[in-house]
Parts: sequence; C-alpha cells; structure tokens
Amino acid sequence: MRPFGAARVFAPDRGIAEPASEAAPARNRVRFLALGIFAVLMLLGARAIQLALSGDPLALPRAAAIASIPRADIIDRNGVLLATTVRAYALTATPSRVWNAEETADALRNLFPELDRATVVRRLSDASRQLVFLRRALTPEQREQVLALGLAGIGFEAESQRVYPQGVLAAHVLGFTDVDLNPLSGVERGLDEEIRAAGEAGRAVRLSLDVRMQYALETELDVAARAAGASGGAAILLDGRSGEVFALASWPRFDPNDAGQASENQRRDRVAGDVHELGSTIKPFTVAMALEEELTASGEVFDLTRPFDIDGSLIEDHEPISGLVGLREILARSSNIGAARLALRLGGARQRGYLERLGLLSPARLQLGHNQAPIAPAARGRRDVAALGFGYGLAATPAALAGAYTVFANQGARISPTLTPRAPGDVIERTPVFSAEVARRLVLYLRAAVVDGTGREAEVPGLAIAGKTGTAEKLGAETYDESRNFSSFAGVFPANDPRYVIVLALDDTGAGEAGGAVAAPAVARTLRRIAPMLGLNVTPRARE
Amino acid sequence: MDKTQLRRALQIAAALIVVVLVIGLYKAKTDAAKTEAHVRQLQAEISETESDLRALRADIAAQESPGRIEAMARDRLGLVVGGESAALPEATMDRNLPPPQSPAQP
Repeated sequence: MRPFGAARVFAPDRGIAEPASEAAPARNRVRFLALGIFAVLMLLGARAIQLALSGDPLALPRAAAIASIPRADIIDRNGVLLATTVRAYALTATPSRVWNAEETADALRNLFPELDRATVVRRLSDASRQLVFLRRALTPEQREQVLALGLAGIGFEAESQRVYPQGVLAAHVLGFTDVDLNPLSGVERGLDEEIRAAGEAGRAVRLSLDVRMQYALETELDVAARAAGASGGAAILLDGRSGEVFALASWPRFDPNDAGQASENQRRDRVAGDVHELGSTIKPFTVAMALEEELTASGEVFDLTRPFDIDGSLIEDHEPISGLVGLREILARSSNIGAARLALRLGGARQRGYLERLGLLSPARLQLGHNQAPIAPAARGRRDVAALGFGYGLAATPAALAGAYTVFANQGARISPTLTPRAPGDVIERTPVFSAEVARRLVLYLRAAVVDGTGREAEVPGLAIAGKTGTAEKLGAETYDESRNFSSFAGVFPANDPRYVIVLALDDTGAGEAGGAVAAPAVARTLRRIAPMLGLNVTPRARE
Repeated sequence: MDKTQLRRALQIAAALIVVVLVIGLYKAKTDAAKTEAHVRQLQAEISETESDLRALRADIAAQESPGRIEAMARDRLGLVVGGESAALPEATMDRNLPPPQSPAQP
C-alpha cells in the first residue's frame, strides 16, 4: 500500500513546476499585470473623485451658450429696452434643386414684392453656385410663410437682427447697424466693443438716457422746428454735476429699424456732429472771463449807446441800449457792444485759454460714433477777438456748449457730458474754469436774462431757469445772411441751486426768429413736462 | 487553497474587473454621448426660447413706448399732455366754481 501524504499527492504539480530560474519572469509578469490593473483602477478612482468634487462639467459651457448674443441689449437708466438682438433668417436657395426658377421667383415675390424678379430668377438659375442668398433679415413669421409655399430648393440660414423697439425715439443716440450687425453710427458705434463684450457675457449696456425725458425733448423739438421752418434742430438735457445726459435729440428724425430708407439729412446727428457759430450763448463766458481776470466789476457801468468801431468795423446791438448799463444788462439785453469791449480787455491769448478749458476748442466726448471737431481759427486781430466775445468766429457743437454751461452748476468747474451712467463713488473729472463766486454771479445775470431780458419766453413759473438766448446769423456765400439764423437757448435750472443744463437750437430759422422767440418757448414747454420727472415743482398758472 | 490557486483566482478576478470596467467605460461613454446630445438639444431649445423672449421683450417695449401710450391716451381716452395754462392752482379754483347756493329753507 502506498503511503498517502501531501507531498506525494501534489507530487505531479511539483514535477511540472518550472525551475526557480524560469518561474521568476512569470511571477514578474503577473506582478506587472497586477500593478497595471491597480494603476488603472487608481486612475479611474481618482477621476471619479475629481468628477464628484468638480460639479457638473457641462454646466459652465451651457451657461455661456445660453446667454451669449452677438450684440448686447441697450437699455435706458431705468431699464427700458432701447435696442436688442433677435433671431432672423436669411432666405437662401440651392439652384441645382430648384425646379422652376420663374415660378419660384413669382411665388417669392408674392410674399416679398420688393424682390427684383429678374435678379431672383438669375440667382435661382445659377447652377454654378451651391447656395445663393435671396433676402436677409426674415422674421420667424415670414419664414413660416415661405415654408408654407413648399418650394423646392429654398432654405434658410439663421442669423441675428438688430431691433430698436422705441422706433424713432433716441434714434440718433442709438445709431444703427448694417445687416451683418456692424455698427454704423450712434452708441452702436461709439460703444461697439462694450456692446460686443456685454453680449458675450449676457448682460445689457445701460445708458444715462431717460426715455420719458427723451420723448418730451424730442416732441417739443419737433414742434418747435416745424413751427420755425427750421432745416434742423438739436437739443440736449444733462445733469450738470455728473455730466450724465438724460436726453439728446436731433431733428429731423428717422427710424433706425429702417435706416436705409432715411436720408443722410435725417440720419445726421446735430448735437455732437454739427458745428455752428453759437452767437450770444457765448456771452456769459465773456463776462465771466472778464470778472475772473478782474478786468471789470459787478458795479461797473458801460455806455453802449453808440456803435463800437474796431479798426473800421462797426459793432452794433440788435436793439440799441440807451443810458449807462451794468454787466447784468449786458447779458439780459444781449449787448454785442458790451461783450466786444470786455473781450478786448481780455485779449486773444487769455480768451483762447478760457475757451480751451471750457471745452469749446475740442470735440465733445460723447460715446457716439462721431464727435465733430470745432472750427476755431486763432484770432488774427482785435476784430476777431471782439467777435469771439459775442459768439462769432468759433463754430462748436451744441454738445460742447452744454458741456461749457456745466460750469454754472459746478461752482465754476466744467464736466464733460457722458452717455454712460455714473456709479456711486465714481471719480468725475472736473476742469476748473472760473471761481465759485464768478459762477454764482453769472447765474444771477442769466436769471435776469430770463426774468426781464431776451429769454423771457423760457420762464417756467416755479422752476426758476437761468439762461441765455443766441441768434447767430448764418454765413452766406460771402457775408452773413440776416434772413438765416441759428437760434438757440442755453440755460441751467433751478437757478437757486443750478444742477441741470439744457441747450436747444434750431438751424436755419428765418429773419426775426431769434433764439428768444423760437428756442426759449420750446425750452419752457420741455421743462414743464420734464421738471416733475426730476422731482422739481412747476407752479401752475391760472387759465386766462 | 494554496498560493497558486489563490493567484489564479486573483488573476481571474482581476480579468473580470477589467472586463467589467471596459464594459462600464463603454456604457458610460455611450451614456455621456447621449447626455451631451440631449444637452445640446436642450441648449438649442433654451437658445430658441431666449430668442423668443428677446423678441417678446422688444414687442413689450414697443407697446409701452411713450409715443404710443400718448397717442392711445389722446385717441381713446381724450387726454392731452398737460401744460401749465391747463392747470389751475388751488387759490384760483374758487373763481371757476359756481356761485354758492343759498341754503334751502326748511
């Protein structure tokens, strides 16, 4: 009997076992395999932990994809939508798949009569091209109508379209884009980079405009321009302490949704894009310069009865002033002779320095597509210096004039107008021009110009506006034309604590249609509507 | 179970785990692809809805524009934009009121 024992039972295994020298590589392979599997398991485990801790990896790109649009919405200071980007479609065709070009063209022209039949037929028949565009910017409803026709070979390409829901309102401020969303004018162009960046980030671009004030200003400018038979009009209302523009209007108006149909004249921005000799609205600065340089005093009196002869050129007042008058009357009665005398005391160099600091010798810095540079040749003699004193020989924009008038709301410092709202704590750049005392005195004189001077029609009971009228004759072929005026009014309110600045100007008004007759009443009508929006009281007048 | 059997069992188990992991990975990737496609579809739907919303917001803004409101107030309600000459201060109201009536005798 063979003995049983573990050693013998397992003897065959032992018998086939490899020698120690050959088993070692096999064991190593197994170890490597085990290590490899272990490493893979570790990697998978690490990845699982990473995914668990890092949240949803799809969340981030999804958020970006949802909100991103090519151009951001533009809203006013209260969040009212002024411009947005909506989905649109381009009508396309694959010529090789079109059955009958003529019938297809006729069917499409039933929906879009503006399509030129010959052009459409030619494009639909052009088999050399894979895809042709027939019309851009279709609305979803128009796309449905085309689809309902069931035309072979007709298709659509998704695109974006810029829409301005307020129509003509603030059109010159907003500007417009072409069909490919490239900005062409207004803040669309002036704030292009910001609008694109905001669109990618899914937020809106806020302007300092207030749609309600914009509407009131545009409406009254429209009424005034039509009544005066003007060829153009411009108006701007701003917070003189922050520079924020509340309303900015040009006339005639246009609809940016259909900018292609508007004429160049309608599309022209006249607030920052047109320069004019401003006339008597410059006189307050001449008086302020003379006071600042102590070349005159508030108690000085002037004899303005005779025309002022400068090197053979006579300067006269529109309405002769008899007797001795002070600085108050020079402004209230808009004396050219008085302003010319003060300007000559000042001299050309100092005068130019002040005009520079007032921002009248450089373009405004509004965030519009274009800010027109002023025409400001250096004064070549006493006559030029005197003329500058009462607003001739310098052509600037109404926007620059409004910026200059902020000195009366900031104790003599100028603030540039801006279309972007200021955030609390923002540092506002101030350019000191006059002392606080001189600015305060000038506001008194400007108030007098409204109470019993040329600007009486601008008076709004209870509001106390202080301002100056301007009537500049327009330059004809060789000389100034008395029958064509640039009539304006520039002022600040409320006079007891000036904060807001308004400038309204009408271009090419007729003879006798002075600023006090056509611009000042329009300012009064505008302020009656706008004052409550600014928290200011207007005292109603009894019905006559 | 001796060492060799144990090793073999471990090898088989490891091989099984690898097979399971490979199958799991394949399934996970397939599911992920489906999920991504679903996400893309949802994104497209959301984008479409957002676009519709923008169009609706634009429509609301147009409906609420001051010019349209003023025109409707004028045409449908007979209202006009107020001017100071149309308003009456409190002090002058009595001039426009009818004269006081004598009290009725009992």
